[in-house]
Amino acid sequence: MIEFDALHAGLGMLFSDLTPWLIVIPGILIGLVFGAIPGLQISMAMAIFLPMTLYMDFMQAMLFLTAIFTGGSFGGSIPAILMNIPGTSSAIATAFDGYPMSRNGQHNTALGVGLGASCVGVIIGYSLLFLLIGPISELVLKLGPAEMAAVVLWGITLIASLSGEHITKGIISGFFGLLIGTVGYSEAGVSRGTLGSAYLLDGIPAIPAMMGMFAASELFKLADSQYLVSDASARRVSIRKIFAGFKQAISYPWVILRGSVIGVFVGAVPGVGSSVANLLSYIETKRKHADSKSFGQGNPAGVVASESANSTSEAGSMATLLALGIPGGGATAVMLAAFAMHNITGGPQFIREQTDIVYAIIFANFGQAFLLIILGLLFIPLLANVVKVPMNYLIPSVLAMAVFGAFGLTGDLSGPITVAFFSIIGWIFKRYQYSVPAAVIGILLGAMAEESLIYSYQISGGQWSYLLERPITIALLVLLLFSLFGGKLVKMLTQKVSQ
Amino acid sequence: MKPTAKPLNSHQIADLIVLCTLATVTTAYFFDAYHASTKILNLILILPVTSIVLVLCLLEFIQQIRGKAQPNEKAEPIAKTLPVMALFVGYVLTLPWLGFDVGTCLFICAYLWVYGERRWRWIAGYGLSFTLLMTSFFSMMLPYPMPMLLFSTAY
Repeated sequence: MIEFDALHAGLGMLFSDLTPWLIVIPGILIGLVFGAIPGLQISMAMAIFLPMTLYMDFMQAMLFLTAIFTGGSFGGSIPAILMNIPGTSSAIATAFDGYPMSRNGQHNTALGVGLGASCVGVIIGYSLLFLLIGPISELVLKLGPAEMAAVVLWGITLIASLSGEHITKGIISGFFGLLIGTVGYSEAGVSRGTLGSAYLLDGIPAIPAMMGMFAASELFKLADSQYLVSDASARRVSIRKIFAGFKQAISYPWVILRGSVIGVFVGAVPGVGSSVANLLSYIETKRKHADSKSFGQGNPAGVVASESANSTSEAGSMATLLALGIPGGGATAVMLAAFAMHNITGGPQFIREQTDIVYAIIFANFGQAFLLIILGLLFIPLLANVVKVPMNYLIPSVLAMAVFGAFGLTGDLSGPITVAFFSIIGWIFKRYQYSVPAAVIGILLGAMAEESLIYSYQISGGQWSYLLERPITIALLVLLLFSLFGGKLVKMLTQKVSQ
Repeated sequence: MKPTAKPLNSHQIADLIVLCTLATVTTAYFFDAYHASTKILNLILILPVTSIVLVLCLLEFIQQIRGKAQPNEKAEPIAKTLPVMALFVGYVLTLPWLGFDVGTCLFICAYLWVYGERRWRWIAGYGLSFTLLMTSFFSMMLPYPMPMLLFSTAY
């Protein structure tokens, strides 16, 4: 229920003074830069700039950090579109159609579509959060470890189902990735698959592995190309086309709305939400689209589906943070640290007693979405020039950036070595038609899947009947089976009916 | 008369080798985990996932042997990819000795030379300026020292 007094007070906090807005612009720019550089993460940017928030009041600190979050959510799609390097795991599906669009010379349109879908997605996502913060937090409270494990498995089977004729290889990739994700010291206190290396005790660094499998392996394939876009006339950077792409995104209202709803609800699931939401939105859009075969070849609807979901999953994860005090990922964990630095505890009490601040944060994000449109339109033409760089300069530069970024993530050489090792694995996977995205999702979520299963086992005392008491888990498992066999089942039924 | 299956080409044989390697690595990982601890909590995910991977590998193996699997016609020639792969792996593995400064500069210059750039001023200029930009940016941003040969960032 909306509390109008608190809403009025929240709006007063935001608009009575211009000072809070002065820190939003640098925040968005920091997010854009960190999201756009492969290897740098939004959470890293927020952690680096967290100490600065000590000199701000709580409201300003939240505006600054959420601005980095908003800028970074879109920034991650820029390398995904231009170089097939998802800046974050939530931009994986953006690369599916964004990168083919770039290679077809539609890089301007693809970036505009991404920006449009992201900005509209943020507005819809925070509108849903404004209206439904109560029900969303209640839903999140109902999610136990069994549901988390089911969401992880569902995400992997969803992405494996995208492999078309190679679905068996897709599932092998996803489950193989899950196993890789469990390497190291487990929740049960046992170390596995470390080959005696102390570097592997903490597990395989997931983000460097993702960078290697997606980025480096793709760059190996392009070594023989002259430019990212082979047609010289298509390499021009056109603000007009970027703006046309922005408008084109709005011409898919249902795709954006579906992506936003999926983003808010799935994004609210701590830990796994944002990685799965963009995939789910992409798959649903592909399934419902009249020309589903054009997906993966450069269909703008694919970019819209992914970007609208990943930008709204930010709102979903904010719901979990504000209403329950649970961080859903690295970025919200840094925000929780900012809460602590200002002696504030997130949770039901925070929502009840400081509703004005909650509303102010929500409305600040509407403002940030509009600022992102302006800053994005100024920033994108600069980055789109990457298509004019000859490949013999681009490839070593991006590979070196990935190595620097990986070192930044791990703090030692295990990051760069992981990038190199997984670049070869990724190249082999692509060459022999195994699903790289499924393997990456498996690696990212493997440890969490195992942890969730262990907790479920401990809660249930090893009784399978526990699952029957979890309707959401059953529903997710049914969806999992449907994503694997649903297509065949529908085909069989329609054949029978037509006979 | 039964139709005889077509002999497998080199790509399909390599595909089978990849599949068998995945199955072998999966099995080896399972046994490593099993030897570490046989408790349910240790194998709760690993055992079912290993079983699924191995069953699927077997199904895929049968399909490939029967020649039903579709070969990847878009696969690029390995000879064109190997130099970049070798340079990249060499760059990463020599980082402990060459550091990010010298290692990156050498990698960029070597890559440009191997992939057709012959203007040595361009090669040296780009290699040096890129390295300088990256090392100064990252050494400024990161809270820990980076391995360097010439420009020490030790705190």
